[in-house]
Amino acid sequence: MIRSALASFVITAVLLVVVVGIVLVPIAMQMPDPLAVLDMFVLGPFRNPRHTGNIIEMATPGMMCGLAVAIMLRAGMFNLGVEGAFFLGGLATVATVLLVPLPGWAMAPVGLAVGAVVGSSVCAVPGLLRARYDASELVSSLMLNFAALFIGLFIVNYFLRDPTAGAMVSYKIPNDARLPRLVAGTRIHLGTIIAVAGCLLGTVYLFMTRAGFESRIVGLNPAFAAHLGLPIRWILLRSQLIGGLIAAGAGGIEMLGLYQRFSWQGLPGNGWTGVVVAILARDNPILLIPAALFLSYLQVGGDLISRNFDVPSEAVGLIQALVLLVVTSSAIMRNPRLLRFITGRKAAANKTSGPKVAEGSAA
Amino acid sequence: MSDIDFVGLLSFVPAILRVTTPILLAALGVLISDRAGVLNIGVEGMMLSGAFVGVVASAATGSAAAGLIGAIIVGGLLGAVLAGAVHILKADLILSGIALNIAAAAGTTLLLFLMTGDKGMSGSLASQVLPKVTIPVIADIPLLGTLLSGHHILTYVAFLAVPGVGIFLTRTPLGLRLRAVGESPESAAIAGINVVRVQVMALIVSGAFVGTGGAFLSMGYVSWFSQDMSAGRGFIALAAEVMGHGSASGTMFASLLLGAAEAIAVALQGRGLPSELMQTVPYIVPVIALVVYARRRQRLLARA
Repeated sequence: MIRSALASFVITAVLLVVVVGIVLVPIAMQMPDPLAVLDMFVLGPFRNPRHTGNIIEMATPGMMCGLAVAIMLRAGMFNLGVEGAFFLGGLATVATVLLVPLPGWAMAPVGLAVGAVVGSSVCAVPGLLRARYDASELVSSLMLNFAALFIGLFIVNYFLRDPTAGAMVSYKIPNDARLPRLVAGTRIHLGTIIAVAGCLLGTVYLFMTRAGFESRIVGLNPAFAAHLGLPIRWILLRSQLIGGLIAAGAGGIEMLGLYQRFSWQGLPGNGWTGVVVAILARDNPILLIPAALFLSYLQVGGDLISRNFDVPSEAVGLIQALVLLVVTSSAIMRNPRLLRFITGRKAAANKTSGPKVAEGSAA
Repeated sequence: MSDIDFVGLLSFVPAILRVTTPILLAALGVLISDRAGVLNIGVEGMMLSGAFVGVVASAATGSAAAGLIGAIIVGGLLGAVLAGAVHILKADLILSGIALNIAAAAGTTLLLFLMTGDKGMSGSLASQVLPKVTIPVIADIPLLGTLLSGHHILTYVAFLAVPGVGIFLTRTPLGLRLRAVGESPESAAIAGINVVRVQVMALIVSGAFVGTGGAFLSMGYVSWFSQDMSAGRGFIALAAEVMGHGSASGTMFASLLLGAAEAIAVALQGRGLPSELMQTVPYIVPVIALVVYARRRQRLLARA
């Protein structure tokens, strides 16, 4: 058991290095000094405390969106509304803080609570339609992401827009509402602690509570869950409500932690990063923390080379896509020869190709 | 409402067809993949890549046809990549599709920057556009002319492909095998059908259709490529296919409905309604339609 977990860890680590190399080396070769590019990407994030802080800031939404995706995936739900929930959650939080007269101390908690509830609708509505009418949560959540985007932009343009600012951005978020910074010289804020605590609570929820156990049964084997007489519809809906609340809360935390004004003009992409984080962490909430840190380390490295050399930071998107692909590839991850090579013993039981990973809802 | 007369409504037809074309082409691609049991979630990324390659290839060769062929080829290649991910790497279908979308968004921006030094737009590339087609005699008939003539060449391709795909799926041996694979891969394999080959082929053809839809975006709808220009149209196509209930004609009507919603939204923007709210319409209509269909299916199941 421990050996196979170790093998999986080793394979993942080697794959990640290979993937980063495959994308980065050819791009670096285009530059006059390839070694300087690679050096900046790999070691640059650690040379300056501010950049190391950036890794932790960026990992914060990654952890929370990853947690939201993981909780829904564990229940077998391919709900991709995390992206829209994150966006709408951030917007509703800023709108509450700006429009509702609140005492200073209440701004952040009330704003985040309202943001979480409003934003969670992007995950909850597909969840409800799935539970009530058996409509595909995959397709409806993809649609509602864009609906949330345009409704959000409407609210910014008509209710929150600061006419003195040049671009379409909101009024300034009041200082009282901002989340406190934790480490001098970086922008690490209270949200990081909330995110780490969220991952720990997520572990408790999934593995130590009745509700989490039920959702894992439904996700692993719906027929068995039905046979047990579990309230499947309610369990599915509950997972997606929780996921939506977490993702939308993450959007609000991101806004109050890092931003001066609401300035997103499009979907920020954190939800998709959350999918990659969750898959990399094998839907295990504890592992979300290193997975999110790793992906944001890549992002910071990408930003550094794009600022210092003529390399667009989009290269990181290619790395993310490849990570998603190879980590879900059971031909690599469950390859019996590879596993035997690493654990150093003959595991005859591994001969079978293993259970299928997350069956697609293509029907 | 008196200013909206019949002729006024008719003038809407070209706009609706224009908006419907990329959705329909992509939705037909999704249809073929879905019937083979390998729903193509990478449709958004394939569309974006098709749009990008169309601009680059036509700028490089100076020929719009070469751009279109390039877009079709890259769509097919990405279909093959997705098939490889599913069948060789044994990765999850939906996650591979999401990976393809992420990679296409990043890859097109990266390549655009390496080629032009600009991350946002392909303005500096002298790309070509595909022509509009005027049908000789029909164009002169008052109402019929507006309806049938003067549209973009890919609009005709899209609508002519509907019966083509429909006949292929329901009336040919290969189409029957494809549907059998989608219905039950195990039974199809027992019946001697090469499931992997059918699914690989379906994804390649699917990609070619989606790539064509992408080419329309950058070589018809507008004449340039811009970052993330597919803007969720691939996902709308996915919704259209789901609404179309797995038939080519159903997919066409669903695409037309969503295209009309988008065209009306664009037209109403000019009348002082908030444009952002109008832009939500094409994304909300599929959700409502999905619910209506799902309810009807539930009721039918309950009665059976």
